[in-house]
Amino acid sequence: MKISGAYRLSLPQERAYALLQDPAMLAHCMPGAERLDKVGEDEYQMKLRMSIASISGNFDGRVRVADKNPHQSFRLVVEGTGKIGFVRGDGLLRIAAEDSGSNVTYEGDVQVGGTIAAVGQRLLDVTSKMMIKRFFDKFAEAAASA
Amino acid sequence: MGTTTAIRTKTYVGERIRRKEDPRLITGTATYVDDIQMPGMHHASIVRSPHAAARIKGIDAKRALETPGVVAVFTGADVKEVGPVPCGASLPGLRVPQHSILARDRVYFVGHPVAVVVATDRYVARDAVDLVEVDYEPLPAVADPERALEPGAPAVHPEWPDNVAFTYHQEGGDVNKAFAGAEVVVKQRITSQRLIPTAMETRGVVADWRAGDKALTLYSSTQIPHLLRTLVAMMLGLAENRLRVVAPEVGGGFGSKLNVYAEEALMGFVAMRIGKPVKWIESRRENFAATIHGRGHVDYFELAANKDGTILGLKLKLIQDLGAYHQLLTPAIPTLSVLMIPGVYRFQNVFCDIVGVFTNCVPTDAYRGAGRPEATHGIERMVDILADELKIDAAEIRRKNFVRPDEFPFATATGLSYDSGNYAAPLDKALEIVDYNRLLEEQQQARKEGRLVGVGISTYGEICAFGPSPATPAGGWESGSVNIDPTGKVTVATGASPHGQGEETTFAQIAADELGIDIDDVVVVHGDTAIVSYGIGTFGSRATAVGGTAVYFALQELKKKIGTFGAMLLDSGDVSYRAGRCICNKTGKSVSLSEIAAASYRAMKLPPNTEPGLVSTCFWEPPNFTFPFGAHIAVTEIDRETGAVSVKRYVAVDDCGKIINPLLVDGQVHGGVVQGLGQALFEQAVYDETGQLVTGELMDYAVPKATMVPWIESSHTETPSPVNPLGVKGVGEAGTIGASPAIVNSVVDALSHLGVQHLDMPLTPERVWRTLQQHGGQA
Repeated sequence: MKISGAYRLSLPQERAYALLQDPAMLAHCMPGAERLDKVGEDEYQMKLRMSIASISGNFDGRVRVADKNPHQSFRLVVEGTGKIGFVRGDGLLRIAAEDSGSNVTYEGDVQVGGTIAAVGQRLLDVTSKMMIKRFFDKFAEAAASA
Repeated sequence: MGTTTAIRTKTYVGERIRRKEDPRLITGTATYVDDIQMPGMHHASIVRSPHAAARIKGIDAKRALETPGVVAVFTGADVKEVGPVPCGASLPGLRVPQHSILARDRVYFVGHPVAVVVATDRYVARDAVDLVEVDYEPLPAVADPERALEPGAPAVHPEWPDNVAFTYHQEGGDVNKAFAGAEVVVKQRITSQRLIPTAMETRGVVADWRAGDKALTLYSSTQIPHLLRTLVAMMLGLAENRLRVVAPEVGGGFGSKLNVYAEEALMGFVAMRIGKPVKWIESRRENFAATIHGRGHVDYFELAANKDGTILGLKLKLIQDLGAYHQLLTPAIPTLSVLMIPGVYRFQNVFCDIVGVFTNCVPTDAYRGAGRPEATHGIERMVDILADELKIDAAEIRRKNFVRPDEFPFATATGLSYDSGNYAAPLDKALEIVDYNRLLEEQQQARKEGRLVGVGISTYGEICAFGPSPATPAGGWESGSVNIDPTGKVTVATGASPHGQGEETTFAQIAADELGIDIDDVVVVHGDTAIVSYGIGTFGSRATAVGGTAVYFALQELKKKIGTFGAMLLDSGDVSYRAGRCICNKTGKSVSLSEIAAASYRAMKLPPNTEPGLVSTCFWEPPNFTFPFGAHIAVTEIDRETGAVSVKRYVAVDDCGKIINPLLVDGQVHGGVVQGLGQALFEQAVYDETGQLVTGELMDYAVPKATMVPWIESSHTETPSPVNPLGVKGVGEAGTIGASPAIVNSVVDALSHLGVQHLDMPLTPERVWRTLQQHGGQA
């Protein structure tokens, strides 16, 4: 499944770039994230709880930040598996300065398998959009008070 | 002396007798596999792959094994001694992947069994499945058969990078000459989508190992208990006489239980390992992912004809989505499509190529109709496309090309010999029922009003009563035994294993008529290898035509013996048997069947060269298949705003030879039509491009509900089969075969004035709505 979109943040480009890779911020803002532990350079172990359609469950996985192009773009690679299936995602985030803030655009590919694919397929698209929006909403709010 | 058997003069064959099996089924007192309880019984739950293709790097069952109640976890490494899941079909050059009952180092489809957890409690077993950690390395997968044939597509089995399991060619006549001389050629790509059989009862197995007896009993929801016994005994390395298979009540099969599954041998293995009985009941989601699917065709048709509508020849390239493995009959199913591709038509030039393609999906195999719905859908669509091209009426073009009544037995270009038929009779009757000419006028009027009304005809021919043994992988005969007790009560044992078709009633009708006794004095038993002689099973609309005939011949043999005993008791050389009594033709004195039965077992005196008792068994080998036929007409209307199709009328006129029980025939037609309607309008098994089954449960896979089904106007013509003395042909699959083309032809007809020539199934509102948008027919 392809995902793409944009979100405006009232943060300067440099700060947006840094905060979007801050594990504390990611753990705080990712819907369902229960913990995010650093396991290596730009690599984190993650516990995530996810609900879709009639099923919910925990994922254990890894988040990796790659292809860093300071202040402008980086790639986020997520892999998780759990009782209800697996998720693999790979997305490029671009941060551009815009007026007083910054504009974040993202595009990527998400694959899911197992029960979530078999049961939740109809809601996957709308759920992932909703989760991304929630992430940015919370991120914007947290960044403002940080 | 025993009880007196009631005497009857009335006959049962041809009567609407209510099913003897129904009271237990509708009062919840039938025994299915899941109803079986045993002391010390354990429960199994299966770890299945969430990936369509992956390498298994490791399996860690430690946490599962630590769970209280879990007694064992077995993986592919533990079952190396168990033989592969068998493929019974043989085709030249067929590539057969090694199909272990649990995955070894790779998984090939979502749902592939990887490990089995055994626990004292069903829920503990299920929960512990989630604690088995399988380390997968995902690999590229391919789910679409045409994509799988493209160069560079992921290889399902690395040893065969082209993904081709087999190719198969069949031709008859001279198709090149036919096409060269044709005035018109029409071409169309037609798909017959993957379907999920969705038996109401999922699969289930109870395995009971008696170590002291060295004997295993398998209770399985199967259509083929004897074949299952032979094959599972081989897989487990057991002598066949140490394995008993029982098919208790089976809640629907539709071909999905005409198979030998990994889980059946696996439960035998588990029971033998743990020394306790074990039960496995498939969940609905497992059923969707791991029980065979049906259909899965992409067909490229070409039809050559003259301008007057005479069909000259047909070409077909058939791409069969096989899935990742061959189940019992997987590769054989498309060969049935090719056999039946001429349908009810006379043309003698046919040229067909099949490509069987591996995909990272669950295997396809027999599903109600098994190859014939695909063929019938194709030829009936093509005939309509030709009629549209030539502006000939759909009924007229069919009549022009029908095999004529005086041409039977009719030799087809595909090598079959159609036994008997009168193809115009059901068509004429169906046209009369719908009042065809008036209907066409009403359709014109509706179009003027802006309404989209369609009339669709299908005239199908099908092949039943599988079949002469040389044409089958495992024998095509059937066994029937009749056992008359000392009290005169009659037990019929059939090797066919009915699972909803109602043979406990129809075979009792046959026996009651032959013996002139009350139907309630007959019990029909089946589905237990310990009490029934070896049999082939129920599939391919064969049980009555082959199994019923075996019972019929066993009865004839027994009647001779009854006459011999009767003559002795009456001390007469001139006796006849009527209405349950043996009568001396000279004196009019008589003895009842129960008196004869008692004398035959008491054996105070025996007729010369006659053994005591009244038991007879017949193994009947049919000389040919039977070929039922019929005409279905669907009237549909399309909602311009939503694209929703509503079926206004559905008329089915089926000719299944002589009818033993019209009530049951109607039931089979109704059920069959509903499954064909399901394919035409609603159902499709969808795998995404990574091989995930996204129609993984009943929320996403639309089997027709009662509210989605039209009133079915069912009637019949009766053209007896000369193949068997009962004159019967078979009707289990007819409704499904006739229905999908009738409905699709009707919907295409409703849109034909907008320039629509073809639509692929399922005709969901979205698909029809998009078609309307493309053709300017939107509201």
